[in-house]
Formats: sequence, C-alpha cells, structure tokens
Amino acid sequence: MQQLKQVLEEEVLPKVRKPLRYLGNEYNAVRKDWQAVKLRSLFAFPDVYEVGMSHLGLQILYGVVNAEPDYLMERVFAPWPDLEQELRTRAIPLFSLESLRPLADFDCLGFTLQYEMSYTNILNILALGGLPLRAQERGNEAPLVMAGGPCAYNPEPLAEFIDFFVLGEGEEVILEVFAVMAAHRAIRQGKQDKKEVLKELARIRGVYVPSFYEALYDEQGKFQGVKVKEPGAAPRIVKRVVRDLDQAYFPARPIVPYLEVVHDRMMLEVLRGCTRGCRFCQAGFLYRPVRERSKDLLLQQAEKISEHTGHQEISLTSLSTSDYTCVEPLLQEVLNRFEGKNIGVSLPSLRVDSFSVNLAKEVQRVRKTGLTFAPEAGTQRLRDVINKNVTEENLMEVAEAVFQEGWTQIKLYFMLGLPTETLADLDGIAALAAKVLLRGREILREKGSKQRPTVTVSVSSFVPKPHTPFQWEPQDSIALLQEKQKYLRNRIREKGIVYHYHEAEVSFLEAVFAKGDRRLGQALEEAWRLGCRFDGWSEHFRYELWREAFRKTGIVPEEIANQPLTYQDALPWDHLDTGVKKEYLRREREKAYELATTGDCRFAPCSVCGICQDLDVDTRLRKGE
Amino acid sequence: MRLCLQYSKEEEARFLSHLDLMRAMERALRRAQLPLVFSEGFNPHLCVSYASALAVGVTSEGEYLDLPLKGDWPAEEAVQRINAVLPAGLKMVAAVPVTQRRESLMAIINLARYRVEIPLRQAIEQKEAEEMIAQVLARPAYSVLRRGKKGERQVDIRPGLWQLQGWAENNKLILHIAVQTGSQGNVKPEEVIEMVKDTVSFSRGENFWGENIRIHRLGLYIRENDKIYSPLERA
Repeated sequence: MQQLKQVLEEEVLPKVRKPLRYLGNEYNAVRKDWQAVKLRSLFAFPDVYEVGMSHLGLQILYGVVNAEPDYLMERVFAPWPDLEQELRTRAIPLFSLESLRPLADFDCLGFTLQYEMSYTNILNILALGGLPLRAQERGNEAPLVMAGGPCAYNPEPLAEFIDFFVLGEGEEVILEVFAVMAAHRAIRQGKQDKKEVLKELARIRGVYVPSFYEALYDEQGKFQGVKVKEPGAAPRIVKRVVRDLDQAYFPARPIVPYLEVVHDRMMLEVLRGCTRGCRFCQAGFLYRPVRERSKDLLLQQAEKISEHTGHQEISLTSLSTSDYTCVEPLLQEVLNRFEGKNIGVSLPSLRVDSFSVNLAKEVQRVRKTGLTFAPEAGTQRLRDVINKNVTEENLMEVAEAVFQEGWTQIKLYFMLGLPTETLADLDGIAALAAKVLLRGREILREKGSKQRPTVTVSVSSFVPKPHTPFQWEPQDSIALLQEKQKYLRNRIREKGIVYHYHEAEVSFLEAVFAKGDRRLGQALEEAWRLGCRFDGWSEHFRYELWREAFRKTGIVPEEIANQPLTYQDALPWDHLDTGVKKEYLRREREKAYELATTGDCRFAPCSVCGICQDLDVDTRLRKGE
Repeated sequence: MRLCLQYSKEEEARFLSHLDLMRAMERALRRAQLPLVFSEGFNPHLCVSYASALAVGVTSEGEYLDLPLKGDWPAEEAVQRINAVLPAGLKMVAAVPVTQRRESLMAIINLARYRVEIPLRQAIEQKEAEEMIAQVLARPAYSVLRRGKKGERQVDIRPGLWQLQGWAENNKLILHIAVQTGSQGNVKPEEVIEMVKDTVSFSRGENFWGENIRIHRLGLYIRENDKIYSPLERA
C-alpha cells in the first residue's frame, strides 16, 4: 500500500487531469483503522468525483456507516479515462480513496444507481478492481456487491452483475444489512458463505437477491414474469421508507471536497417525496409519501453543517422546495441567521408560480442572473395529460414577476415525445417562449432598462419510466424525436430565445435500460467490452458501439423502447413494490387520456395510490410547527 | 486588525491549484469562527490576500497571507484555531499582527527560494554537480518563451536568477534556487530548471534526466538593499 501510494503520487497522479479526484484526504473524510472494525465497505459511485460528491445520498450513507464503531465505509468513483489508461498500463487495480486498497479487499461494495447511463461505469469499476463482472463468478472470497437508488426499482438489466439490490431509502435499512453481513462473518472467522449470507439478507425487508429469481420467457422470447427460484424468497419486494424525517440520520459533517464539485454547497433536505403527481415523473412515485422536516431541526442542522464545513451557500433541497409548508419562515430565519456570515441560500427547484418567484427574490438579493421553470409541455391539453397542474396564466405571471424583479434571463424546461403529443403541442412550446420573451421586452422597456431579455428553451425527450402511469407508453423513435427537435428549431425564430435539446440517442438508451429485462445485461457487457464508458457525457458517448453491442447480442432495443405495452403484459419490475399500486398507475394513465387531472393529496382528497394504506406511513406536513 | 500568517502546503496538499487552495482556505477560515471581514458591495467576498500563487504539484513551507479581522486577536490563538480546522496538508506556521506595512504582500515580495530535486538516470559526483552549476551561471543570458495575453514573447531570465547552488544526492541533482519574484522580473523555478537542463544536456545528452522533478518553495522574502527579510519581519 505504501508502495502504491508512492507510485500514485510520484508517477500516476501528476499525469492525470484533476488529481484531487483521487486523493481521499478531504476535510471530514473518515479514515478508520482497518483492523478495528468488523465490516469494511466501499461506496462506489459510477460517475466522476465531482458528480458523486454532489450527491446527498453518498454523504448520508457515508455518515451513517462511519458513525458505527464496528463498520467502515470508504469511497471510489468512476476513474476518468485518463486514470483508467494509467491504471491499465501499470496493472494497478482500482483502489479506494481513503486507504488505497483494491476493491477486492473489501467485504462489500455498494453502487448507487442514479442514472441508467452510468451502467457501463459500474462494470468498468468492477473490472478495474480486478473483480469478475458476473455475480455467479464471484465466490466466497469476493466482496458482496449491492446496489440501491432510483434505478434499483427496475434493476433487471444489472441482475447478472449485482449480488443484491436494496429498494427504498438507504439510511433506513443499511445498518440492518450490515448487521447481517457482520454477524455472518463473525461466526465464520471473518469469511463468508455467499449463498448462505444472501439467504440471510433476503429476509430483510427491501432486499432483492436476483439470483433467487428466474425470469421466464415464452417461445417467441417474450418476457413472462419473474418466478421465485429459491425457497423462502419473497414473491414481492417492498421498498423501505423513513417514516419521520426528523428522526432520520443527517450528516452534520459532510466531506468538504478540495475540488470544485457540481453542487458545491451544504445541502439541507427540507422534505422528501412529492405528490404533485406528474405522470411522467418517476421520482414522484418512488419517493412517496411527502415527509417534511421541522423548521427548528433544519435550523439546527444548518448551524451544525455550517460550523463543520465552512460552506458559503446553503441549498434547501428536495423535489419541490416551494411546496415545503414552512418555506417562508424557514427562509427568513436562515437568511437572518447566516447573512452576517455572508452565507447565501439557494433554491434548486422552483414551482411555476409567483410565490416561487417571491422566494427566489428573497434568496437572490445579489447576483441576479436567471431563473429556471419547468412547464414541461406547450399546451394546456398536454399539460393536463401529464398532470402538470400549471397554466399559461401561471407561467405568464411568473415571467412578469421575473422580469419585474430585475432578472433578465428565464429558462424553461420542456419535454418532447410525451404521450398524445401532436405538432400543435410543439407549436405551443414555441408560442409560449415567444410570449414570455415579448412580455420580458415590454417590461424591461417600461422599466427603462437597456438590457435585453433572454429565454432559454431546454428540451429533453420523454423517457417512459417504470412505476409511473406512463410505464406502458412507447417512446418515440430516435428519427421521430430528431424530426420534432428540428421542427421546433424552425419554429423558434426570435433572437433572444436560446434553444437546447438533448441527444435523442441517449434518451433512447435511457428508455431501453429503464424498461429492459435481464437479457439486456449481455448487451451492457458487450458495450462495455467495446469501450463504452461515461455514456451520460456527450464527449464519451459512442452510439455506434452501442449499436454494435446490440447487434452482437441479438437484442433489438427498439422492441424495448418503442413498443407500447399492454395491461396484460408482465413487466420486468412487477415483483418490485414501491407502495404505489399498479392499479393506481393504470387509472392515472386512463385519466391522462381523458384529460382528467389528479389533485395533490396534500391539499386535495387522498387519491388512494396505496402508499399510506400499504406501507403504514403517512404524509407529514409541519405547517407552522 | 490585520494578521500576516505564514503557512505551509505539504505533500498531502500538493495537487491543489491556487484556486483550490483559496477555496479550502476560505472554508477553513470560516470554520475557525474568527471575526472575518467581507468586502462591501453586491457580492461580498472574504477579505484575504495572498502573497503569491503556488502551482499544482509544488509544495512550500513559506507561504503567506494577510487576513483582516474585526477587533484584536492574539496571533497565537488565531493560528491555533485555524490549525484545528485546516484540511490535510495545509498548516499555519506562525502569525504576527501587521502594524507598519501598508502595501499588500504581493506588492513587496520580490524574492523566492526553491529546493528542486531532479532525478538522474545515472549517479554523479559532487564535483560534477558543481561544474554543471558553474556552466549554467556562466551564461550571460538565457531566453525562455512565455505565453501571455499578447501572444508569445522571449524573456531573458538570467537577470532574475539571483542564486543557484547544486549538489549530488542519490542519483539526484539537488538545486537551491533564489529568483526574483513579483510583478517585475518574475522568474519561475520551472524556467531555471529548463535553463539547467538545457545547459547540461549539451555535454550529457537528453537521456541524462529522469522523470518526476519535485519543486518545493522554501520561502518568500523581501530583499531591500541586499538585506533579506521574511514577510513576518516586515509586518
């Protein structure tokens, strides 16, 4: 290890970009005595350091585990291709940041699955760590490989590579998982019987061991469902939920990176879940119910994190922070307490209404650049289809407030290819953007401002996601998406509107991996062998290699992404339970076609999605507490 | 009041750029709970001024910064508080209150000393090392190419090279360099290394040199009329 340290520091790191990605000696990083603990784990983030270190989940789990004297958790991130090259040339196995140990030295590895396009990085991390890719090829000596996060709700494309998945909120279950692994090793002189420990783990609620299940197909190769293979394994795996966010662990001493990371600020999680019910939004269905954290606890947490990090900015994070019932008093108190220390506040997501603009106004007393909103669709009809309860009036109100208050830029997010979309909906996007721009010009002129308003239209492509009402929907073909992108391009003529869109090929692969079944693992492995890495990064994305991988493995990805599913079809994620009933999703989909909207159960009557009924949890709002 | 602090950037922090270091330092200063001073205006920033930037990969035991504080603070206590919360590889060495000096550190520092280790592919005698240095110093001028905003230009670094010593040590050529630094006549250690390699390669060839040169800054100084002071002495 000493030798590795020397080689790294003397020879390898001086040659790579941003060597600080690989040092692991940041402030608040935990380096524990390897011999003094019973279980050694490694958090593996399948993207680059700057992305991984911006992820609150990493900081939470790292804190939860390292707070326990019997366990340690270290970190590894996907090495940038320059480091990969150096490691391969010198035959150095990928190592943990904290103790520079190769992956194989750990008892368990945990991947977080935030994004489908990071899957090749998972294989690459295993391979660079010197571990066999396939779970069945890793024996008793190898670390157990687990994975969690939103993509674990359809983990089938990774089923061959991962020993077990954990569904739901990690801090709720990770210590149970660790206790089982540690106890298992304790009675076996530190060794494990892999089959046995997986059986023990499978008894924990929320743990899914894919090798205990068999995927069935008919003669045409059509997926027929998943069958329990191992006696005793649960037929359905239900997610784990934190009941009360005030009781949940929060990291008071998050690691403070040396490097400038994507979200370089302290994160104060004000609430979890969102019940606005946008029908395309997976997070909205996965993280139910809404649970708020109380304002006083948040203030205490802010004080502690600030003291232990020295960050200059506090971000009030959640899926929709303007929905927090105490957001105004919280914001006022945070601003008052931290203004003297020159600590600013930021709001990551703004609802489309003037209330949110007022919040933003409070926050951005300085540095007025722009604000971002997501109307998602260009016409009221389509917004009703997706249950985005935002009207054109809301948006114009927002635009007026934005320009009145002195911002000159507004960014609008839309989605192409939503179910039932017609050209009128695309025209609607262009018209809305033009209207907002026009209003901006009028207002700035009235104010006597010499600045010109800018409207940025950022368009992504709809990706049907598991566990949403649109899970049965096909995605538009790449060609059609590109045609729509071009159509919209031609509709947006005004100077002052900036138009961005996402690569359709990436959205296509996202859909393939979001909805695929176990067989997709072969294509994934092949793509990795052909050299695919960092597929979410446009400079590394190589679609032609993916095509080759599908060709070689005989998989037709269009059948996964572009074909509609029927209610009779078995879905690869049917055995995985988010707490929201499939029947509810179906009803929501039917309402979509009837242009009927569904209210938010925080303010409207319960629409009986199943979460509170089945998981023994409830919506927790703090209103004035 | 204003404190002048001396700090070191050690092995563990050697991959920090100046920007990384400033960010890490600001966070540590905030954690230290000292009464910091912020600039006025729409976008207040922390008032702290650095003597000189240190490149990625270069370590130092003699870096300096000026830190204004609200109210009077014992220098010792400030050092302790900051050291308790600095990240790995950064350490406060000493501090004094600034009482006389009005200029910024950057404006008055004009001398920097470095220790450089150049690995060699073969061992050399002490005498050989001394001959090499003599050859280098015998050159009346040495031009390096600098890229600036106005494009490339040739600069003679010889006038700014004030001292150069060298000796042999375990297949390494060790250099002690003193160069002019600051806004005028600044010479970088990398440029002196280039001059040494270039000169010696005439007789020894390019293959003489190994890889992984290490540069360590020994300190920053103020030279006034042939007397040399540390910034702490000129506070």
